[in-house]
Amino acid sequence: MSAKTRRIVAGVSGLAATSFLASCAKDAPQDTWQPKGTNAKIIDDLQQPVFAIAGVIGVIVFCAVVYCIIKFRDRGQAMPEQTHGKPALEIGMTILPALILAGVGVFTFRTVFDLSKTSDTQMVVNVTGQQWWWEYDYPAQPELGITAPIITSGQMVIPVGTKVLLRETSRDVIHSYWIPALNGKRDAVPGRVHTLRLDADKPGIYAGQCTEFCGLSHANMRMETIALSKEDFAAWVANQLADAKSPAENTLAKEGEAVFLNQCVRCHQVNGLKKADGTPAIAAPDENVWSGAAPNLTHLMSRNTFGGASWDLLNKKCRADVWGASSETVGKKYLAGVSEECLNQTDLRRWLRNAPAMKPMYADPTQLSSTNGKYRGMPNLGLSEDDIDKLVAYLSTLK
Amino acid sequence: MFTPGSKFFLGLTGFSLAVCVLYIALVDNATGGAVALLSIAAASGVVAGLSLFNRDGEVAVGDTAAPAGAEQLSSSMWPLIASVGFVGVVAGLITHPIVFFLGLIALLAAGTEWLVQSWSEGASSDKAYNASLRGRMLHPLEFPVLALVGLGIIILSFSRVMLAVSRDAGAIIFIVVGSAVLFVGAIFALKPSLKKTLVVGICVASAVGIAASGIAAASNGLRDDLVKAKKEHHFSHKECGEEEGEHFDHLAEGTISMRSNPIATIELRDGKLTARELGVDKVTQTITFPRSNDATIIFRNKDEREARLTAYLGTKAVQDGVVEEVLNCTQMIGIDHEQALTFKIAKPSMASEKPYTLTVPGLEGQSIEIMVP
Repeated sequence: MSAKTRRIVAGVSGLAATSFLASCAKDAPQDTWQPKGTNAKIIDDLQQPVFAIAGVIGVIVFCAVVYCIIKFRDRGQAMPEQTHGKPALEIGMTILPALILAGVGVFTFRTVFDLSKTSDTQMVVNVTGQQWWWEYDYPAQPELGITAPIITSGQMVIPVGTKVLLRETSRDVIHSYWIPALNGKRDAVPGRVHTLRLDADKPGIYAGQCTEFCGLSHANMRMETIALSKEDFAAWVANQLADAKSPAENTLAKEGEAVFLNQCVRCHQVNGLKKADGTPAIAAPDENVWSGAAPNLTHLMSRNTFGGASWDLLNKKCRADVWGASSETVGKKYLAGVSEECLNQTDLRRWLRNAPAMKPMYADPTQLSSTNGKYRGMPNLGLSEDDIDKLVAYLSTLK
Repeated sequence: MFTPGSKFFLGLTGFSLAVCVLYIALVDNATGGAVALLSIAAASGVVAGLSLFNRDGEVAVGDTAAPAGAEQLSSSMWPLIASVGFVGVVAGLITHPIVFFLGLIALLAAGTEWLVQSWSEGASSDKAYNASLRGRMLHPLEFPVLALVGLGIIILSFSRVMLAVSRDAGAIIFIVVGSAVLFVGAIFALKPSLKKTLVVGICVASAVGIAASGIAAASNGLRDDLVKAKKEHHFSHKECGEEEGEHFDHLAEGTISMRSNPIATIELRDGKLTARELGVDKVTQTITFPRSNDATIIFRNKDEREARLTAYLGTKAVQDGVVEEVLNCTQMIGIDHEQALTFKIAKPSMASEKPYTLTVPGLEGQSIEIMVP
């Protein structure tokens, strides 16, 4: 083997080894090859054999091409005899791929019909996309303990082993909802309602990402589905149905509540929050935000991400504890919410200080003529450090 | 006798004076406009006199005989039309934008025609060649524009006729006119030897007939049911209560939104109102509606009477201290018919003193609550 050939072999071997080792990533929450729900398994049952067939054909074609390149390379030999047409070979090479594709097509159609089944739905969640976060509202479903609608964002919580129907729509542009471990993608389109079925085999945290380019911060539009045991889900529902409690008088959190009423309630709703005159404080995102909505923060600290699920409310240690938990313990750890010790104050303060600096958003007041002065995303409110301290203290009480 | 330049300025003087008289007669506080129009009339009158006096500056033209073989220039109507257009532009500035734009169109068209005609008449001493030159320049513009105007007049006239006569008469007229057009067109096609004058005569007579019918129909007004529908706000669709408009849109179910997927279907059957949400295989008395997002529901009337679905969507302040209810509703829906209704609720249910509801006016004790999280 010549030195040149050895170098080529070494290079190709190195590339192949790198590619192979890349598939061994441990922390890959959006791995499409690890289904954790019925529909994801239906997809997996199709993609595994199709991938295998495509892989075998790919290898055969690759080997044939390499063989021809080496065997028939130019060595100064005479031009071989030229032939024109091999009908048997040509017909065979047309029919064989057609048969393979027809076979794949039959199973694909069957899979599509299986995935579209909704008649045995056990729970419904409305999912609304907007630039650049997901909102979830749960219609009243007394049989599941949901006696009044629940609204949350970023993280959707479902009971394990329950067939959940997502009714997806959008408030502004087309988004696409995808939790790879639980099902395929489904577009969320303004003015339309698309359905997508999910269910999870085991309790756990399943990560996803908006998969339809939706503007400036598309890359920062993430989401998680949290599957809890039925008992844990009931506890979560009970907590979500309760209104937020006002902090005790003469505390930093109480001062933060005043800042929230002055600044944040223009867009963010906190159920149970009252104005100084005792009347409910009602947010008016429809007057300030292009999409007409902003996340409801009543139970902010019961979820462990914020900013379109792109930043953690938990610090690194606590996050690792919750996300790395076994299916037996993840529910309890998730329901514990964000304690004072676990709060990721660094990112939360950065967000309150200047949100558009963390997540690109259309929030420059001088550039909002095309949206009639309304923001797309959260603006920089110009809060003082003192106000940020107070707000962090108040937000920490929203369990 | 009149030179081209003097024609333009004399026309300008005459039309300015005429518009000035009309303006003073029809418009209050007409002093400013009248002064402007009189000024134009006076100025153009002076310039017209000068043009006549000096023969448009070509003194020799009137004083010497034309050279042998020279053909007389054809008369032109374009200066006159240009002056009308100019007056229209000025009159439009002080009366109505439509007058302004019509005047502008006339001025531009006449200016273009006048320019090209003058240019082509100076091209050679051959009048026929000059005419063909003009045609090559202007026919590609003139024919489409004239065809468009002609068709517009015919369509507008025909539509006035159809709006004036009864529905049944309209159908008969449509069939008769359509058959006549087909028949005459077939004759023209099968008999290419027909005299050109006969074909043109039939077409012109038909067009004039339709235009005259249109003018007569327009002066007669709309037929009774359309007048009544207009009074009932059928077109703006403002009825959301129990009142029943007689002339509602019986085919309202053909709306585009029916083809998009609704979040819920509301059905009225045997005097009971029920809802069925998308993807949920059971009936309910409560639907969940997305906050601050346009969404669509379908109202299906399976009852034994016509009915309309009315959505109560909260209140809004119309002025300080004055609040009015926000309602949205379907048309009156016939038996076994349905219609889509699209609306948006910006505030959650907790923000409304009264629940958001869907009801059928006149049907007591039946409502669907709309929950907005």
